[in-house]
Amino acid sequence: MKAHNADKTCWNCPAAMLKGHVDFRACGQSMRRLQELSEEGEILIRCRRRPELGYFEPTITFEECPEWELTKYGYLLRDMRVLILGIDGYLGWTLALKLAVLGCKVAGVDNFLRRKMVAEKGSMSVVPIASMKERLKAAKEVLGVEIEFRKIDVLDKQRLGAFMKEFQPEAIVHYAEIPSAPYSMVDADHAIKVQHNNVLGTLGLLFLMRDICPEACLLKLGTMGEYGTPLTGRPLFEGLFPADAVLKWRGREWSLGGELTPRDPVSFYHVSKVQDTFNIYEACKYWWLRSYDIMQGVIYGVHTDEVAADPRLRTRLDVDEWFGTAVNRFVCQAILGMPLTVYGEGEQIRGFIALEDAMECMVRLIASPPEPGQYMVVNQVSGLYRIIDLAKIVADVARDFGYYVKIQKIENPRVEADVHPYEVVSENLPNLFGFRPKVTPEVEIARMFELLTQPHIKERIKKLAHVIMPVTWWSGEKRVPEVIEVLEPDAVSKGVYKPVLHTGLKPEVYYSMVRTRKKWRKVAT
Amino acid sequence: MRVTTRNFDKEVLNSEIPVLVEFWASWCPPCKVMEPILHRLEIEYEGRMKIVTINVDQNPRIALRYQIKGLPTFMIFKNGKIIYRSVAAKSETQLRRIIEKVLNEEPLEEE
Repeated sequence: MKAHNADKTCWNCPAAMLKGHVDFRACGQSMRRLQELSEEGEILIRCRRRPELGYFEPTITFEECPEWELTKYGYLLRDMRVLILGIDGYLGWTLALKLAVLGCKVAGVDNFLRRKMVAEKGSMSVVPIASMKERLKAAKEVLGVEIEFRKIDVLDKQRLGAFMKEFQPEAIVHYAEIPSAPYSMVDADHAIKVQHNNVLGTLGLLFLMRDICPEACLLKLGTMGEYGTPLTGRPLFEGLFPADAVLKWRGREWSLGGELTPRDPVSFYHVSKVQDTFNIYEACKYWWLRSYDIMQGVIYGVHTDEVAADPRLRTRLDVDEWFGTAVNRFVCQAILGMPLTVYGEGEQIRGFIALEDAMECMVRLIASPPEPGQYMVVNQVSGLYRIIDLAKIVADVARDFGYYVKIQKIENPRVEADVHPYEVVSENLPNLFGFRPKVTPEVEIARMFELLTQPHIKERIKKLAHVIMPVTWWSGEKRVPEVIEVLEPDAVSKGVYKPVLHTGLKPEVYYSMVRTRKKWRKVAT
Repeated sequence: MRVTTRNFDKEVLNSEIPVLVEFWASWCPPCKVMEPILHRLEIEYEGRMKIVTINVDQNPRIALRYQIKGLPTFMIFKNGKIIYRSVAAKSETQLRRIIEKVLNEEPLEEE
């Protein structure tokens, strides 16, 4: 089968430089330099990597171009220069290793803010993580890859710009945002810090990209939480309405196709992500930047082949109420023998994706850049689950590791619907980028237990027992929620609403590559 | 079908049957999301109405010739003459209505 990006052309390639000044946004109004075009009126480019070719039409496909090499994730630009902002984080570090092993030239910046914020909570990464210096050394020793690092705050436009000029990125992955809803709800100072860092960091970055590397793709991380859970029960589209969505009003009809869908963010953190979405959308429009805006489901898990290659290469895993997400929290609670806590009814439905699958999505997106000026959204989930059902899966897997735990419903400190319809469209990744999930929650949760039950890690989890329960209420209160009900793990969900995931593929095709726990055990032994 | 400067005259102006042309660009989200609908209609009306798209950035001379100033622009050519022109995304129902009118030789409202 042909790779998903085989037919993309120079038009998508970050190495292609357009000849002359071409102001596309104004369409017919300002094509001032028609003399820069070919005889037949075609636009010309020059290849940064092959300047000896001179000017030519941007029609060479990735399949034909020797600069693009076939990998298992599609064609990938040889030695592609990828800049990761927030390289020290859970996802940044994991992706850096994966890309470096694939042959990309990876550089990263970080100001270690995440480490500081977790310390502010009195917590630490459950999985011990090395210092950046040690990480880089281990990456070289164990995986044979060199990663360039600078300690830079993305708000420091001068230093970030200088490094971008030096490195000349062909893709930029932006993980340098504060990713916590509760953190943004602590008080005014925390909310302002989150929005300042996230919104202004991204806005400054867009101006730097315009001036330094407008051909590079910006892979910006958003979240499914930007959409919220619309009580109309309408599907959550991929950022923009599809062309067959129509608005009817007073007997007339309009296509909504291509318009941004409404957002209903669920915390001030999520609001910062929505603001980013608009800023990027505009930058693509004004300056012909290109971006994939990735609406991530909740990422869980600890495994990729690269981070598992050496203890010094492990990525962080947080369990505190600010940065620990549901599945990670459940696993640690089980290891501590605490009941697994769901908020309210626990019937909240969310999109999830395992770390390994999420990283594969990122590589596929990087490998297949958008067209000039294209702003595209992907909903990055591999399955939808009710929180209480995930707690049940964790309780089941925990039993295999000798832990018997109950599930408890506690008061919900957040303002959100506990019971709601949820229908998600995630068709772009499987249909345009060739993504198929590989990991089920059972498999990844089992891997988590394997790692987290190691004695030295178990000791660390014990020390963090006091930071797991939430105390940050959306109302401003600060207290541990009361227990509503304690359930046996096999108590079934009421299941008023069934999660609906549209992938554009039959489930047996979409999940055809998934490793069930049985199969995974065979591979593992 | 995607047409270019090279085959625009042949495929559009000299076509035996009416041609619906969508002028589009990669930075235009409505244009991008219309692709599947246009593809569906292209197959459905094969032989009666030709449906083509042309990228204005890659084919600036054509964009200039027709003074394209907003996207997506839809135009219908019949015997080399423009009989319909409209800017803005269209729903499938709207497109079908326009196509059916052309095929039934009913009058079209220009915008």
